[in-house]
Amino acid sequence: MNERQIVLEVNGKEYKLTVKPNELLINVLRERLGLMGTKYGCGVGECGACTVLMDGNPVLSCQMLALSASGSKITTIEGIAQNGRLHPLQEAFLDEGAVQCGFCTPGMILSAKALLDKKPNPTDMEIKEAIRGNICRCTGYINILRAIKTASLKLSERSR
Amino acid sequence: MEKRDYHYLGKDFPRKDGFARVTGKEVYPSDVALNGMFFGKILRSPHPHAKIKSIDTSEAEKMGAVCITYRDVPDKYFNVRLVSVPRSTYMDWQILSNKVRQVGEPFAAVAAETEELAQRAAESVKVEWEILPSYLNTEDAMNATENLIHDHVYLEDEKIEIKNNIACMRELTEGDVTAGFKEADVIVENEFVTPRVYHCQLEPRSSVCKPEPDGGVTVWPSTQALHNTRILIGELFDIPLNKVNVVRVTGGGHFGSGIHTNRVILINVALALKAGTPVKIIPDREGDIYEHCRYPVRYTLKVGAKKDGTLVAGEMKALVDIGSHHIQAFAFLGVLVGWWHSLYRCKNLKYKGIAVYTNKAPSCAMQGYGAPQVTFGVETTMSMLAEKLGMDYLEFRLKNYVGLGETFWGQGPTVRSTIRSDGVEELITRGAELIGWNNRQPPEKKTGRYRRGIGMARGFHTSGTGAPVPGEVKDYTTAMVKINEDGSVDVLTSLMDQGGGTLDAAAKLVAEELGVPFDKVGISPADTRSTGYDVCTHATRGVYCGGGAVLEVARKAKEVLLEYASRILEAPVHALKTRPDLEREQGEVYVDGMEEKSITIAEVAQTAMNNDWGTAIFAKSHRMIACPPAFTTFFVEVEVDTETGRVTIERVVAGSDAGVVINPSLARGQIHGGFYRGAGMALLEDTHYDEKTGRLTNLGLLTDYKMLGPEDLPDEEHFQTFFANTYEPTGPMGAKGIGEAALNPVPAAVASAIQNATGIWFTKLPILPEDIVKALRQKKEGIATFEPEKDKNHTIEREFLKIRSF
Ligand code: FES
Ligand code: FES
Repeated sequence: MNERQIVLEVNGKEYKLTVKPNELLINVLRERLGLMGTKYGCGVGECGACTVLMDGNPVLSCQMLALSASGSKITTIEGIAQNGRLHPLQEAFLDEGAVQCGFCTPGMILSAKALLDKKPNPTDMEIKEAIRGNICRCTGYINILRAIKTASLKLSERSR
Repeated sequence: MEKRDYHYLGKDFPRKDGFARVTGKEVYPSDVALNGMFFGKILRSPHPHAKIKSIDTSEAEKMGAVCITYRDVPDKYFNVRLVSVPRSTYMDWQILSNKVRQVGEPFAAVAAETEELAQRAAESVKVEWEILPSYLNTEDAMNATENLIHDHVYLEDEKIEIKNNIACMRELTEGDVTAGFKEADVIVENEFVTPRVYHCQLEPRSSVCKPEPDGGVTVWPSTQALHNTRILIGELFDIPLNKVNVVRVTGGGHFGSGIHTNRVILINVALALKAGTPVKIIPDREGDIYEHCRYPVRYTLKVGAKKDGTLVAGEMKALVDIGSHHIQAFAFLGVLVGWWHSLYRCKNLKYKGIAVYTNKAPSCAMQGYGAPQVTFGVETTMSMLAEKLGMDYLEFRLKNYVGLGETFWGQGPTVRSTIRSDGVEELITRGAELIGWNNRQPPEKKTGRYRRGIGMARGFHTSGTGAPVPGEVKDYTTAMVKINEDGSVDVLTSLMDQGGGTLDAAAKLVAEELGVPFDKVGISPADTRSTGYDVCTHATRGVYCGGGAVLEVARKAKEVLLEYASRILEAPVHALKTRPDLEREQGEVYVDGMEEKSITIAEVAQTAMNNDWGTAIFAKSHRMIACPPAFTTFFVEVEVDTETGRVTIERVVAGSDAGVVINPSLARGQIHGGFYRGAGMALLEDTHYDEKTGRLTNLGLLTDYKMLGPEDLPDEEHFQTFFANTYEPTGPMGAKGIGEAALNPVPAAVASAIQNATGIWFTKLPILPEDIVKALRQKKEGIATFEPEKDKNHTIEREFLKIRSF
């Protein structure tokens, strides 16, 4: 198959990669760049574990060809702590007991980040809507919702 | 012993593994990457029951793939679960066989340099099948006299012929049931049906195996039982155990599906050994759904009581559809009666359980291990009896529950111990207050389209499977505690943390015992080479049994430490105490009553090292002599839309008696999660098979495996949790378990709330909207129990009659 050159900015770093036309973004991130924080939970777009941000929007990296991500900015869970400081969402997930097995956590945090970046003070309904595509089998979502609310408070305090 | 002030117990700290988990650094089996690693693909049967006439892998091999079929694996029978003693472990598994017993059963596997090549290679394998008649329900299965799913199985060396696809049976009688029922003023009898729930742990059960130059293997599997996995691999592949190293990696959820060694791991080892290079297998979701599910149980339950509410007799007959293989059906049949008998006191009882093979995914433990199934029927029956007797549900329960000082054997008839802590009354009284039980209105008072109802149920789970006398389940943990030269501490065990905080609890117990700051206690990476045997992190035993072992070892290490300190401080050991000095971020040893005479633990350790005294270190196996019940009570309020049958959960009050609570926030998280999965089981989760094709009707898709979402649970303000104020004298610093207890009564509590809203008792789970609509229609004609649809020719009675003939 004819391989193609793509350019990806991942977590602020630029990568020039040669990919096959059928290569998935999840595999490029995990296997080529070693960014294992993007999880494989189903491979068919049903669980949200592979969620990453593409130009700020949540996408399912198991459903996206690397080719079609070319030229975009990708953020994975490894890229949201700044200068060694956890992102408020990461902190809140830790403090509020929103992490059990942790397998849904990266995707969940990224979906929440996409929401808070656009809407720092979302309503409960908006939060639930934003993480609708992210399955968590462990927590019953209650602490996850609380963590997202806590983070949104922290973020809006900061921007004040 | 009693409660005291703790530095760390009962306080919340971010979990130790949390930083890795929120930054994407935690390594799960599917994340392990090694040089030269191949990708494995499992070939799964398209037929529910068939034999391989011929299989041709030559195309795949030409592509450069490594292939294994039944010809390439050791020809041995085994059981994937090694938790029970060999005498109770039926063996019907082979790594790969020339016969498949369900759609989705692995029959071959390939590995190749890239995932794509492995996929192509897998697709090129040609198979000729001889199709056999298949049995997708217990009735068909039990009617069969030939072409059985298994012709024979093994129990140790004994070869056992299988008849009518019956995997095993168990019976138990106590007292005299006939006489008991004669004494009864009221009798309630119903048939209950519970669903074939899929665990749906978020990470498909994955595995990586690396063949080592010395002929051994290193494995990074998805499992709850490192050592049992190692023992099984060693046995099957004839590798001495010192060359089989199974490494602890965090699993992306288990819920019981990792108690047994999933076959993916064994296929992984076989592939890697043949390939001579590391191999990774991440099954696809469809494959995973065909690997495991909760035991579905159909049972009749008949219970009699006297006018004053005393229970006089009970009889249960259970039929369990175990699917294609025996994982622990024999033990399971034992706990079914155990859960029942240990909920309520009743001296006359009779039980019979039958496990039947069908051509479906093998059933195995899932959070609660039969307790949610049984608690559903028992709690429903208790409420019905109370109603008939005109007694309040709570009063009736308080009169009859098995509590303090009584013997109980939740984990089956061979695991008996005495209850020494009991928060049931507190759970019931406080829960009732919080939900407003006294203002609860009877169903007759409810009108209109939307009807609210308040229900309740209680239950328990055993904290592990220990007992004064060993029974048919193994239960012990090995641990090592080592005080380092800077005063920090390493804790080494092969316990797993399923997400509930088991390892944090272990670290807190050690910090508390040694008087060392919590962040100075580290949980060491573990594998089977560096740790001693632990049976498995299952049965809600992590904190109680695992923590118990770790604490015991910490005490021993402390003895060594104090002996060294006594030489330095020139004071007798019994006069020495330890405590954390938070300013210096150090533990210190001081002379009781002469607190200026003190020394940091770091100084003790260094002095001991420099003087060649040694290290304060200890390792030991430890078995708990009880498995105390962790009690829970759930009060639930629902709203039922009587037109659509939709049920909304409005409010939850969950009380838990976990003894001294070590990680409060994580424990509350366990309750949320348990409720979520329990309510899912009550309201929508189930798997179905197409009777013609033998395929799952959801086709292996999660979109068609309905689970509750974030919008389906009440908000935090409407989900109250509280803990009973108890102390378990046999537990580590008073602690018991919580995990499975957080789910066990939930389906029953939801059903009870629906009854209070509609006036109808549902005896089949899940309670679907269409069932509710149908039942409400029937009720107008005067029926108040909505029973599972009965096939006149196929009743439990008839099945049991049939069995009498052999
Ligand atoms: S792995 Fe992409 S949605 Fe499940
Ligand atoms: S924490 Fe396990 S799936 Fe969410």
